[in-house]
Amino acid sequence: MVDLVWFQLLSAVLFVIGLYGVMARRSAVLIIMSIELMLNAVNINLIAAASHMEGIGKFSDFDGQLIAIFIITVAAAEVGLALAIILRMFRNKSTVNVDEINLMKW
Amino acid sequence: MNDFDQVALLLLIIVPLVGSLTMMFMPGGDSKESWYFAIFIAAISLVLALFIFARYDYHEGGFQYIASYEWLPGPLDIRLSLGIDGISAPMVLLNGIVLFGGVLVSQTVNHRTRDFFVLLFALSAGVYGVFVARDLFFLFFFYELAVLPMYLLIGVWGSSTDFKTFLRTKEYGAMKLLIFLVGGSILVWIGILALYVEASNMGMGTFSMSGLQLLSENGAFDSKFQTLVFPLFMVGFGVLAGLWPFHTWSPDGHVAAPTAVSMLHAGVLMKLGAYGIIRVGMFLLPEGADAWMPVLITLGTVNVLYGAISAMSQTDLKYIIGYSSVSHMGYVLMGIATLDNIGMGGAVLQMFSHGMMTALMFLLVGSVYQKTHTRDINVLNGLASRMPVNTFFFAIAGLASLGLPGLSGFIAEFMVFTGVFRTYLPLAILAVIGAAITAVYILRLLARTFLGEPDEQWANLTDSSPVELSVGAAFVAVIIFVGVWPDPLMRVINVGVQSIPGV
Amino acid sequence: MPVSGARMMEWAWLIPVFSFAAAPAVVIFGRFLPGKGSWISILAIAGGFLMFWLVLGSWMGAEAVGNCFTSENTQMLTCDYERSWFNAGVVGAVGSVSLNWGILIDPLTIAMLGLVTFVALMVQVYSLAYMKGDPRFGWYFAIHSLFAASMLTLVLADNFLLLYVAWELVGICSYLLIGFWHERRSAREAAKKAFIVTRIGDVGLLIGILLIWRDVGSFSMLDAFEAARTGAMSEGVVTASAILLFLGAMGKSAQVPFHVWLPDAMEGPTPVSALIHAATMVVAGVYLVARTFPLFEAYDADPLMVVAIVGLVTALGAATVALVATDLKRILAYSTISHLGLMMLSLGAFGYTAAIFHMMAHGFSKALLFLGAGSVLHSTEFQETGEMGGLRKVMPLTAIVFSIGALSLGGIPILAGFWSKDEILIAVNDHRNVTFIVLTLFTALLSALYMARAMFLVFFGQLKDQNSHVHDAPAAMAFPMVLLGVLALGFGLISFNWPGSYGGIGTFVFFEHSEKFHFEIWLGAVSIVLAIGAFVFAHRVYVEKSISLEGVRKRNSGILKVIENKYYFDEAYQWVIDRVVFVFSRFIAFFDRAIVNDIIVNGPADVTRKFGIALRVHVTGHVYSYTLAMAAGSVGLGLFVWLRVV
Repeated sequence: MVDLVWFQLLSAVLFVIGLYGVMARRSAVLIIMSIELMLNAVNINLIAAASHMEGIGKFSDFDGQLIAIFIITVAAAEVGLALAIILRMFRNKSTVNVDEINLMKW
Repeated sequence: MNDFDQVALLLLIIVPLVGSLTMMFMPGGDSKESWYFAIFIAAISLVLALFIFARYDYHEGGFQYIASYEWLPGPLDIRLSLGIDGISAPMVLLNGIVLFGGVLVSQTVNHRTRDFFVLLFALSAGVYGVFVARDLFFLFFFYELAVLPMYLLIGVWGSSTDFKTFLRTKEYGAMKLLIFLVGGSILVWIGILALYVEASNMGMGTFSMSGLQLLSENGAFDSKFQTLVFPLFMVGFGVLAGLWPFHTWSPDGHVAAPTAVSMLHAGVLMKLGAYGIIRVGMFLLPEGADAWMPVLITLGTVNVLYGAISAMSQTDLKYIIGYSSVSHMGYVLMGIATLDNIGMGGAVLQMFSHGMMTALMFLLVGSVYQKTHTRDINVLNGLASRMPVNTFFFAIAGLASLGLPGLSGFIAEFMVFTGVFRTYLPLAILAVIGAAITAVYILRLLARTFLGEPDEQWANLTDSSPVELSVGAAFVAVIIFVGVWPDPLMRVINVGVQSIPGV
Repeated sequence: MPVSGARMMEWAWLIPVFSFAAAPAVVIFGRFLPGKGSWISILAIAGGFLMFWLVLGSWMGAEAVGNCFTSENTQMLTCDYERSWFNAGVVGAVGSVSLNWGILIDPLTIAMLGLVTFVALMVQVYSLAYMKGDPRFGWYFAIHSLFAASMLTLVLADNFLLLYVAWELVGICSYLLIGFWHERRSAREAAKKAFIVTRIGDVGLLIGILLIWRDVGSFSMLDAFEAARTGAMSEGVVTASAILLFLGAMGKSAQVPFHVWLPDAMEGPTPVSALIHAATMVVAGVYLVARTFPLFEAYDADPLMVVAIVGLVTALGAATVALVATDLKRILAYSTISHLGLMMLSLGAFGYTAAIFHMMAHGFSKALLFLGAGSVLHSTEFQETGEMGGLRKVMPLTAIVFSIGALSLGGIPILAGFWSKDEILIAVNDHRNVTFIVLTLFTALLSALYMARAMFLVFFGQLKDQNSHVHDAPAAMAFPMVLLGVLALGFGLISFNWPGSYGGIGTFVFFEHSEKFHFEIWLGAVSIVLAIGAFVFAHRVYVEKSISLEGVRKRNSGILKVIENKYYFDEAYQWVIDRVVFVFSRFIAFFDRAIVNDIIVNGPADVTRKFGIALRVHVTGHVYSYTLAMAAGSVGLGLFVWLRVV
């Protein structure tokens, strides 16, 4: 089996790419994609951890997978909501560029 | 009758509260029905107040009409305890009279009438509650209930002052009033908690005032504690009483408020503050009171002089009366600070007397403003020829406030002077000078605004409406009655004052 | 009537009550009655006058039993009746005080009752004609009743609190009557001035009363006098309270420097001036000093010297101004001030009887003079003496009675004023040093001079054409004037010893020693010479015009200017008010608004607001700044936890 560290490294790299995407992207859709990337990076981490565990303490073998499924579900719901908001945004302002959506400031 | 006695005080609070809640379901907008219903509720409350006052047994004294309902049992043990004594009985009567008068006079509130009365009755329920509460928690609760509706009442139904050099919007007046009073009540709340905690250190944590008083008499609160906590009450309640230098909310608040609210505010609300100092400060922390009296009496003297001198240069009719209120509350505070039975009796009588006379003045000025749409004394003149009855009543109110014998103000002020004379002589002299200064601004006001020849712009004025004049007449009758025969009030007050520890 | 003599005195309280009841009755029912209810008021005061006689009779028949006793202080027979009013503090508790209604009847009271009820009655009858047609006719009589009631209460009061109550009520009635024609600005100002100046004096009065109470424990006058006599009150307290009480007296009785309100009070209707500012209200101060005389002379420290000096200065100063004034009512006003000064001087010289006697003689004579002046004003509508002259040809009755009054006050023998002034001179000569008597004689000369001047300028000499239509007083006005004239002529008779037990007024009203009438030849002779000489001189100057004062005027033009401007008192006061009082008031108002409110109160509010504005910058509205913040925050949190754990 491949060592856990490589999976975690992959997860970290994917996470950072996702974080960069969220912070630097202008398009709302791309920001959502980046958020998905972050979430899936975390999923990889969790599943890898689960597959390398041997029932340490309170944790059993498949706890990580459990959490990963939770995350997939929540991510799906959240993306649905986010895309709805983006649709609305687009209908109002004809753009998905987040730089131009700045009315809710002081 | 005993059963009735049990519920009398509860009824006193509930009637306006129920009135307020019921009115929420009435049709909104401008309707006369709200006013009629409000008169009905206020009348019930007045009858109750009169009944309770008349049947208070002054031979026995002490707390009567006692009732106690469990509310939050357990470690905190908060109960709705009610009772009145010789000091609160006249205050209850005062509130009943001023409320009824205020509601009658609010005929002119055309805009969102129902909401106005909802708030007004909530306010008066709070006032009644403070006067009859025997539990600190509920005293505070009712205190807040009396203060918070003021913001909306002034902000929505008030009037702004706009002279060329001086703009005070009603929103400003309302906000300042609210923040000041809530600030004061924060101090009060800290004090109440301090009392509770100290009491529970003795193992008897309670919010009940009679319980705390018992503890205090048995020496549970040591001198240092009392000296630290009393100023919280002195300043916290003092803010509402218009204690200098925390008085600036009062003139602006009075001026911005609509007539009925001004009447209640200056007539009754400010007395809540003085009452709080007596009831909570002096009954529960007598040693603290003793220590802080010199400060209180000095500040009271400053109130008297400062208010009177400021009133001399005001040009807005309501501002003159507002500063006059600050000045007269100074007499109350001085009387309280003497810790002397004559001085305190004078202070309580002054609370009643000033409540009546200032409510009357605001009533009359409100009527003038309603007709002339200005309160500037440089513009108004010769009103006597067009509004003779209004002028006559205003003259009586003004003379009462300068302490003319034969009217209630004299008895009260005289007793305060006597009390202060006995305890702090030099300040008594200043207080008497304050009365002389009052004569100056009152007479100037009368001469400028009411007497003389009117300008053409006032040629078509008519006198105040019959409703306003009847209410005014009733108030004048009370002022003259108390001035000529103060005994019915005094014997109740004397009994109440006697039981204050340290007097 | 099966009421014993002594019992009638108990009902003396009815005298003010009649008028107290009349006042609201006139206001409420007046409009439905003929004469606007004025006769209710007149009936009330007439009833009071009648009761005065009953009380007098009752007192004369009374003995020192029950409520009546020979006062240790005054040695006069005194009767005291009390009833409870209200209690401050529970009855019987330590430090509580009982406030009572009470009346005190002694010869001083009786003298005052007679004076007040009679003059008030005369003036009210006179007003029926004088104020006829006035739109507020009813109100006038109502306030007159209230005034009479208050004044009568003042003289009957047996305790200081009731005295103070009546004192203030008298003040407010005076305000209402002076400012009666309030359409005129000058009237409103004059009324306000009167009230405020007397109020300032009243501060002293109240403090004096409280000071006495503090030591004695009660407000009763008899208790206070006892305490002063037995030494229960220390010398310092007695002297201080006497001076403070005198301050109040100075205000009401227009002594320098509180005299400035009286000349302006002439803005009121003339009958008001006759009643209030000649015979009744202004003598309240003199009455107060007389009533509290035991306090003044209890110890050796001599507060009476203060009284005497103030009185003398007032008498002399006012006399000089009266001599050069040209408005008829002003001349009479300053004359009143001068005579009030004389009364105070007399009291200050232990001339108790003389002061009271002069109070009454002056009251009748001055009221008469004012009513006469009113008669002139009513017809001619002028007040300047320059517009008058020779009026005796068209109003003979007024001229005669006015002259009687003038001669009386000028000190011509036989008339009442001569005897009373003589008594004062005797007192001053006996008890005070030489300077006093010299200056008093000079004042007497001046008073004769200005009275003669007024009389001659108005009624004698050439009749101006503009006045040829002038008519004499109608019956309602003439009748009171005649009655007063008779009194001015004959009142002096009561000062003599008559056969029987009456030994002159000195045996009726006295302090400590009753004095039979006596006459000092040389003093009397000097005063007669001065008075007659003054009248003759004035006649020469103003009627015959054989002596001219032009030269005197030119040489003393500087002093003359000062006197004509009333020694600039009014200007000085106005300066103080404008420059000091109002400036201070504006400063306080400004302080309150700008500093206490704008800085101290609004300040923290502003600071909070600005703080909020500064903080809200972080709400940029841009998504990326939020995500940046979130990312930074979570990284930081993670680091924190990692470092803590490690």
